[in-house]
Amino acid sequence: MGLEKKVRKVLERYSGYNLSCEIRDGVVFLYGRVRSYEEWVEIGLEVGRIKGVEGVVNKIVWDGYPAEKVREREERRRRIFEENKGRVVGSYDVVVIGGGVTGTAIARELSRYQLRIALLEKAPDVATGATKANNGMIHAGVEPPRSTLKRKLNVKGCRMYERWARELNFKYKRVGSLWLITPRTLEKYRRFLPGPLYTLVLKYVLPYIVVLKGIINGVRGLRVVRGRKIFEMEPYAARDALAAVYVPWTAIVDPYEVAVALAENAAANGVEIFTSTEVVGFLKEGDTIKGVVTNRGVFLCRYVVNAAGVYADEIAEMAGSPEYTIHPRKGVLVLFHRSTGSYVRHCLAEIILPPPPRTKGGGINPTPHGNVMWGPTAVEVPDKEDVSVDPEEVQLVLAKYSTILSEFPRDRVIRYFAGVRAATFTEDFVIRPAKWVRNLLHVAGIQSPGLASAPAIAEYAVQKLREMGLELREKPSFNPFREPIPSLRDMEPEQAEELIRRDSRWGHVVCECELVTEAEIVEAIRRGARTVDAVKRRTRAGMGECQGGRCLIKVAMILSRELGVPLPAVLKEEAPLFDGYVRGEAW
Amino acid sequence: MIEVGKDVVVVGGGPSGLAAAVRLAELGYSAAVVESGDELGGILIQCIHDGFGTKLFGKALSGPEFASSFIERLGELGVEAWTRTHVVRVRLEGGSWVLTAVSPRGVLRFKSRAVVYATGCRERTPFEIRVGGTRPAGVYTAGLVQRLVNLYGVLPGRRVLIVGGGDVGMIVARHLHLEGVEELLVVFPEPWFAGLPRNVQQCILDFGIPFRPRTIVKEIVGKERVEGAVLVRVDEKWQPIKGTEEFYPCDAVVFSVGLVPNASQLEELGAEIDPRTRGPVVNEYFETSLRGVFAVGNLLTPFDYVDDAVETAFIAAEGVSKHLSGEARRDKPIPLRPGPNVRLLVPHRVEWASGRDVTLFLRPSVERENPRISVRSSGGELYHTRRRYARPSLMERVELPRGLVESSPEGVVVDVE
Ligand SMILES: Cc1cc2nc3c(=O)[nH]c(=O)nc-3n(C[C@H](O)[C@H](O)[C@H](O)COP(=O)(O)OP(=O)(O)OC[C@H]3O[C@@H](n4cnc5c(N)ncnc54)[C@H](O)[C@@H]3O)c2cc1C
Ligand SMILES: Cc1cc2nc3c(=O)[nH]c(=O)nc-3n(C[C@H](O)[C@H](O)[C@H](O)COP(=O)(O)OP(=O)(O)OC[C@H]3O[C@@H](n4cnc5c(N)ncnc54)[C@H](O)[C@@H]3O)c2cc1C
Repeated sequence: MGLEKKVRKVLERYSGYNLSCEIRDGVVFLYGRVRSYEEWVEIGLEVGRIKGVEGVVNKIVWDGYPAEKVREREERRRRIFEENKGRVVGSYDVVVIGGGVTGTAIARELSRYQLRIALLEKAPDVATGATKANNGMIHAGVEPPRSTLKRKLNVKGCRMYERWARELNFKYKRVGSLWLITPRTLEKYRRFLPGPLYTLVLKYVLPYIVVLKGIINGVRGLRVVRGRKIFEMEPYAARDALAAVYVPWTAIVDPYEVAVALAENAAANGVEIFTSTEVVGFLKEGDTIKGVVTNRGVFLCRYVVNAAGVYADEIAEMAGSPEYTIHPRKGVLVLFHRSTGSYVRHCLAEIILPPPPRTKGGGINPTPHGNVMWGPTAVEVPDKEDVSVDPEEVQLVLAKYSTILSEFPRDRVIRYFAGVRAATFTEDFVIRPAKWVRNLLHVAGIQSPGLASAPAIAEYAVQKLREMGLELREKPSFNPFREPIPSLRDMEPEQAEELIRRDSRWGHVVCECELVTEAEIVEAIRRGARTVDAVKRRTRAGMGECQGGRCLIKVAMILSRELGVPLPAVLKEEAPLFDGYVRGEAW
Repeated sequence: MIEVGKDVVVVGGGPSGLAAAVRLAELGYSAAVVESGDELGGILIQCIHDGFGTKLFGKALSGPEFASSFIERLGELGVEAWTRTHVVRVRLEGGSWVLTAVSPRGVLRFKSRAVVYATGCRERTPFEIRVGGTRPAGVYTAGLVQRLVNLYGVLPGRRVLIVGGGDVGMIVARHLHLEGVEELLVVFPEPWFAGLPRNVQQCILDFGIPFRPRTIVKEIVGKERVEGAVLVRVDEKWQPIKGTEEFYPCDAVVFSVGLVPNASQLEELGAEIDPRTRGPVVNEYFETSLRGVFAVGNLLTPFDYVDDAVETAFIAAEGVSKHLSGEARRDKPIPLRPGPNVRLLVPHRVEWASGRDVTLFLRPSVERENPRISVRSSGGELYHTRRRYARPSLMERVELPRGLVESSPEGVVVDVE
């Protein structure tokens, strides 16, 4: 009863509204109506912070709540459900919902065992959610609070990455990170630290607090760097940096490459991957799921893993175990031309306390291909699919992080984009058996550092499934290795010569910016790419400075030829690129 | 590995590269043209409209016609042309330039004493002008659409918004209109179209294509497919006027917002780059800061007329000849600097001890009636020439007597007054 009292106390503070709550097994359901979306988020977060709350389902509506759209979406799902609930696709031990890094990692981990596994992804490709739009940083685990699951899995996941990279052969670089401490670091507290005390604290106290935080979290090896050493490590670091903390474990990857590699390896080990397959509901018997209903029909199953990213809450609700609401948090990232790579060696951040609300946690990092990325921002958005970028946010990123480096060609932006973090109100990963459904495992709230934690998340999830009764018998034929698509860009002329002799398409450069050949594109298609963006994620065709201006048609022509679809019908991500044929009058 | 040894290798088989190769062959040098596309002709292949060659041939040819005159001449002269061959790396090895290229025939190594780069331009992207919103299917650049429509017979959409009022934007608008696009709107931030008056009449007004000056795209809207764009009016300084945002429904947005030289290979090689043109810094024979490496055509800066692009190639061919015959250079180059009313100027300096008069190309940053284009040294005006008008959309060509430049070793400033 103590819990309910605490929740009511929070709600009382919003006395102008008629809010109510209900608590079941540690999950708080909130009801009522507030004026703004911001308040909706705020209330959810306040309740989520209460000790003992295991989940917040925020059913409060706000003025402007898109009730019509929600109804349409449910209507649509119901229609698809009714049309497909009678048609069985197959029968599986485990169905994994969601083809992001979380779902693909779990599927691949499960493929070690003698199980029939299906991975369902609603988009035409894996890695189209948060997994395609993040920094690609493998954090060490210093930041998350000690008591969180995030912390535990992040620290472990980071250590597991090197092995993953070796087995799955994705680009992985352990560049380390450098957190700068500058006169701006404690600006807000300056008045408590008069005169030289301020600099002393920044130089000799704060860095060790950070190192200590690392040790508390289980991350050793952090080092304090001062003076010239900072600039030896990072020549363009802010001139006024007083000290820095070096984290040797931080690495960088191409996040979509990781997920694609996982999916390919999972498939090679028997996982059936169904893209363009959207889960719209469940067939249940009592508190047990019997089948997962999709637009392709029913996947009968014994266990279900919910790794649906921002939609995990809706999947949980469809399954009958709503235990959390996702409040999407958008982040904008700005990507720079490869020529800027020489300015940045480590993942860089400037420690600012307290973290500013719109940009907390962001910084500057290199990418495995030599580009540089700035960001992200952090903005609460009501729409789960809102990946639009406000140009002002680009300006904000450019202004905010420019204090990290003394010099940088900020005009060499080639692209900006946004991703949406699937945050729950308890702000931690939710990886546990559903409370009210017997055979459903939640893997939800996988916000940052979800990528860094992925290997540990997969292991942890499989262990949970075992605890739920799934018997795991090792499969002797499991092959942990996956070969990447060779790339002309990384080849010596002799190797290129050899490949061209065998297949002349290795000598046909399609994307000039990133030096991608027809052979690479054909191979990506052979491995399952069905869209221009899927080809792009696997080969980098279109990722350079002209952003596909020169190669888009060529890539689309190859897709059209290989898949046997007309050019106008080739998909970008989910929609066709073009619209039919000309009338022929200008000829 | 296929080894090819030549006096000169030309990278890029567009009109400028072809012109350079033709002139070099006529001067008696052995040359090879290396082109990454399937055919020679560069950007002209997709320019099926007419208007090419008015200065050079005195008639308005279509793009492919203009290109084929050079391609034929190249054949007559027996110059090797390697299509589908992409130069990936260039190195200086023992005084020779070695270009590594890949082609379906294998890896090639071209060895030569001089290189002419003629790699043209790429289109500026919507990111470079900070357009917000999403990037669903339906967001393209104008050159891409021109290729799509003219070479593949495919339409980008049915209701198309064109961003940019330059020549390329207008030409693409007319094509889309003729080819069955149902609704078109052209928007641009200037008070009037930035392209040639002839194109305004023949591409826009004659067909009654709607347009909105002083308007830009703030955001693209749509999740999977473009659903529309948020337009906003701008003031004289191109700053958005708050409260004038308007949603315009469409299914494709086509950007025609400028061209950027394809100079990244030269940049990687260490050639000096002009931040104004984003192309290489060159001397009066269009030689880059790397001895024996020349740059011509749109790679210097986008030209309005292919005829001017081709002229730079002819001049560079003479420069190659000077380089190969070991002619003397000045001890100190003489800088040519743009004045306050000049947005960009090529070439950037005079470096050879003797030679032809200096051909300058400049783009004004202002609009003027009856302007003077003046050339000054610290001692005062050296030279001027008059024009009926000057405007940013018109590239000016000025022939500057060499002796005048040589008399001011500290450099000259070129301006529009
Ligand atoms: C801007 C930004 C920067 C970040 N930076 C980092 C970083 O540097 N390091 C780090 O470790 N983490 C980072 N993160 C977090 C990281 O991106 C995520 O934790 C991770 O990608 C989550 O993967 P996921 O598989 O859980 O979700 P997603 O990648 O979103 O995958 C979920 C999938 O489920 C599918 N799906 C949804 N509903 C259905 C349905 N009904 N039927 C079938 N399929 C469905 C979706 O289509 C989607 O593909 C960042 C996040 C953002 C937004
Ligand atoms: C849409 C449009 C309309 C125009 N309309 C007119 C008009 O009406 N009248 C007029 O006079 N002018 C017009 N112009 C201008 C004129 O076409 C250009 O000035 C001229 O084409 C420039 O020629 P170029 O050879 O420098 O470049 P391009 O024609 O672009 O040729 C460059 C070539 O280099 C190749 N290349 C690039 N990199 C490599 C590499 N690494 N290895 C090998 N090859 C490489 C490219 O594939 C390309 O073929 C127009 C231009 C455009 C874009």
